[in-house]
Amino acid sequence: MGAAVEARGIAKRYGSQIALEDLTFSVQAGEIIGVLGPNGAGKTTAIRILTTILAPDRGTFSVAGIPSSEPARIRARVGVLPESAGYPERQKGEEYLRFHARLFGHSSASARAVARALLQEVGLAERGRAPIATYSRGMRQRLGIARALVNDPAVVFLDEPTLGLDPAGQREILARVRALAGERGAAVLLSTHLLDEVQQNCSRVLILNRARVVAEGPVLEIVRRSAAPRRARIRTTPQHVERALATLNDSAEVQEAAIADGAAGSLTLVLAAAAIGSDDGALNAVVEVLLDATVPLLACELEGARLSDAFLALTEGR
Amino acid sequence: MRASTAAAATHERQGAPGWVVVLARELHDLWIGGRGLLLCLAFSILVSTIAYLAATNEALNFLEQREALNLVVQVGMIVGALLTLLAGADAISGERERGTLESLLVTPVSRRQLVAAKLLAALSLWLAAYAVLVPYAWFLARDLGVVGTTLAASFVVGTLLAACFAALGLVVSLLATSNRVSLSVSLFALLALLAPTQLPGGAKQGWFADALLHVNPATAGEHFVNRVIISASGWDQELGWLVSPLVATALLSAGALLLAGRMRLGGGTGG
Repeated sequence: MGAAVEARGIAKRYGSQIALEDLTFSVQAGEIIGVLGPNGAGKTTAIRILTTILAPDRGTFSVAGIPSSEPARIRARVGVLPESAGYPERQKGEEYLRFHARLFGHSSASARAVARALLQEVGLAERGRAPIATYSRGMRQRLGIARALVNDPAVVFLDEPTLGLDPAGQREILARVRALAGERGAAVLLSTHLLDEVQQNCSRVLILNRARVVAEGPVLEIVRRSAAPRRARIRTTPQHVERALATLNDSAEVQEAAIADGAAGSLTLVLAAAAIGSDDGALNAVVEVLLDATVPLLACELEGARLSDAFLALTEGR
Repeated sequence: MRASTAAAATHERQGAPGWVVVLARELHDLWIGGRGLLLCLAFSILVSTIAYLAATNEALNFLEQREALNLVVQVGMIVGALLTLLAGADAISGERERGTLESLLVTPVSRRQLVAAKLLAALSLWLAAYAVLVPYAWFLARDLGVVGTTLAASFVVGTLLAACFAALGLVVSLLATSNRVSLSVSLFALLALLAPTQLPGGAKQGWFADALLHVNPATAGEHFVNRVIISASGWDQELGWLVSPLVATALLSAGALLLAGRMRLGGGTGG
């Protein structure tokens, strides 16, 4: 089975400004890929090109197996929640969905059935007959997701779907995103700044910085490859804390160490990039340094690799 | 839940063409949403006032009845065209500003169909304005025996001008970076085109002035109706005055459809 989205060498300029350069990646059906990057990195441009709103200057792509030369057919197979999407305030939720279903070729009766089913699916069945002006931001985002599904899309593009939502709203939207991939089998491209949520929900990530792809692949692999600082926590006896601190700060394997709780004998440290080859290697480096200095080691714990650290390492200062 | 959505999705997909769906939505928003009715109410108050003043002036012999009729018809046509201009000027830049344009652009409906539907919806304002104008024109024209001619001439010229200005508004709306710019530029263009109609007769003499009057669709349309109502000329003698409104409507409509294919989310056109 072919990729749900396949992009090769896509480039886009706005005048002299490079918006996207050599974007190459693919997404499989049922997969959620996180599209990450600082503001202005090219995420929205990439989504607009793949949804055929913008034409690329170079490169080719296919969506749901349809080549970029057939934009109308691509639009019929994708669902899009644009960044900061607006809604017609006076229309009712159901009316809005019916209209969009009809734009995708549904008859009047079929559009009504689709609208009602989707309102039910996103938990807005009770508010379907209320004007959109009365909807909260979270409800509007859910309505936007429902609108993106009126054509039963093979690929769903969500550009900042959690923007401006409280933590509960963010969690709710992300649960719906998981359901899109899990239950509908759709490929989902999720552009967001919520890195921890991406780590939990996405199988792969695509990180853009200054219009270029700086990393692409499974989350854990990106974190490992990125040489992001790894944090560890160690515990020794209270009387050995100072010696442990001095030993760690003198060590080439440790970038920074600090006493977390002197009475409990615990210290926190950030490993130097050179010490990070694998989880085992990093842990061994710390243990060896301390044992060589005859510091008794009661506990040593390497903190989980974080996508946010990898993201910063890949995008800051570049 | 998923099954019911899929069932509905696979159910009969014999919907209407995209432009028909957009047109129906636009007409609904315009006429059920209330904006169109409000504009029509304002239009009918204006035409009532002008008709009353023209009729009373005619009774006092300040205006000859044909001139009174001509004045009411001209005002009706120009204000009707103004309504379509405003609707056209808001059509794309308004959607862009409200953040609803992108959701329309990601549907299979082509951009040209979107623009065509909005052009037709804008024209509905003129049709409503014309319906309001008819009884006033009939009342003033009945004693002159020119009811049919007046209604036909005002419908033909008014429809051409309404289409021309709606298309002009759409072109500006497609190119403008904001709705405010679109409305301002469109209004300025309308006023510039109408300005020559307010010039004194002496300023309209000579071949150059004559050429300008022929080229400008607003002045050409005004002249045609003038000649038909006041001078009682036959249509066949004055058809030359309809060339400019006809050509301008065709060019601006084609321009709007052409620019639609290159419509950008941030205003202007391009890739």
